[in-house]
Amino acid sequence: MNCPKARILMSAAVDGELSRKEEEGFLLHLTKCLECKGEFEEAKKTKMIIKERIIQFKAPQTLVHSIMQLTSVSAIEHEDTLFFE
Amino acid sequence: MIDLLIFSKVHKSLKIYCFKLIILPARALVGKTMLFEPGRFQLMDKPDATRHIKTRTKKESLTKEERQKQLEFQNEAVVHLNSLYNYALHLTMNPDDAEDLVQETYLKAYRFFNSFERGTNCKAWLFKILKNNYINRFRKNSKEPGKVDYDLIKDFYHSIKDIRSDTSEAESDYFHSLLHEEVYQALHSLPEEFREVIQLCDIEGFTYEEIANMVESPIGTVRSRLYRGRKLLREQLEEYAKKYGFNTDKDQ
Repeated sequence: MNCPKARILMSAAVDGELSRKEEEGFLLHLTKCLECKGEFEEAKKTKMIIKERIIQFKAPQTLVHSIMQLTSVSAIEHEDTLFFE
Repeated sequence: MIDLLIFSKVHKSLKIYCFKLIILPARALVGKTMLFEPGRFQLMDKPDATRHIKTRTKKESLTKEERQKQLEFQNEAVVHLNSLYNYALHLTMNPDDAEDLVQETYLKAYRFFNSFERGTNCKAWLFKILKNNYINRFRKNSKEPGKVDYDLIKDFYHSIKDIRSDTSEAESDYFHSLLHEEVYQALHSLPEEFREVIQLCDIEGFTYEEIANMVESPIGTVRSRLYRGRKLLREQLEEYAKKYGFNTDKDQ
C-alpha cells in the first residue's frame, strides 16, 4: 500500500470501518511510513477531542412536553375520528 | 265525526305501532335466521355479518394499536430527543429554530411511523427526516438561519448544563487545553459538507453507511470528507493552541 491509498483509508481506520483485509494493509503501511502513522494518530486524537469537547445540550423542558403532547394528542384525535365514522 | 277522526288516527298510529312491533323485528329475525339456513342466503348474508363484527373489533384493536404505536414511538423515537435537538442546533445555530425543527420532525415521524422499518436505526431515520425538514424550511424558502453568533453560543454554553463528563482534565496535551467554545468554533468554521459528516460520525456515532444515506452520497465520499474535515479541524485547533502559547510541535 502506498501513502495516497492509506490516506483514502485513514478516516475509516480511525472509525473502525475498514474491512479486515483493508485494515491489514493499512496497518502494514503504518509500520513502514512514519508520516502516515503520525497522521493516523493525529486523526484519532481529533476525533477524541470532538467527542469529548462538544457539549451535548439537553432539550428544553418545553420542547419535551410538546413532543409528548404531540404524540398523545394525535392519538386521541385518531380515536375520535374512529368513533364518529 | 270527531269520533271517526280519532278512531282513524288511533287506527293509523296503531297500524304504525303494530308495524314497528311486529314487522320490523320479524324482518330482522328473518335476516338473522337466513344466516343459519343452508343455501345461497347464507353465502350472501354471512360476509355482511362478519364485516360487521370485524369493524367492531377493528375499532377496538385500532385504539389498542394506536396506544401501542404511541408507546413504541416513545421508546424508539422520543428517546433520541436530546440528540435531535443538538443536531438541529448545529444546523440552525438558533435555539428557537432548533425547537421548531425538532417539533416538526417528531410530528412527521409520528405520522409516518408505520413506514419506519422496524429493527433499523430509528435515530438515523429521525435525523434524515430532520435534515430534510431543514432543507425544505431554510434552503428552499431561502429563509437562511441567522449568521453564527459566537457570543450567543458562548452564553448558551454557559447557561446550559454539560451532560457529558469531563474525564480528560488530567491530560496535559495541548488539545486537551482547548475549551468547548474553541472546538465548537473550529467545527463551525469548516465548510458544511465537512462539518456535517464529522458531527454525524464523531458526535452522534453513526456508521458510514448510515451517514452516506443521510447525506445522500456514496460511502467513499463520506470517507474522504471525514479525512479532509478532520485535517482542516486539526489545523484550526492548532491555530488556537498556538494563539494561546502551546507549542504544538513538541506534542507530536
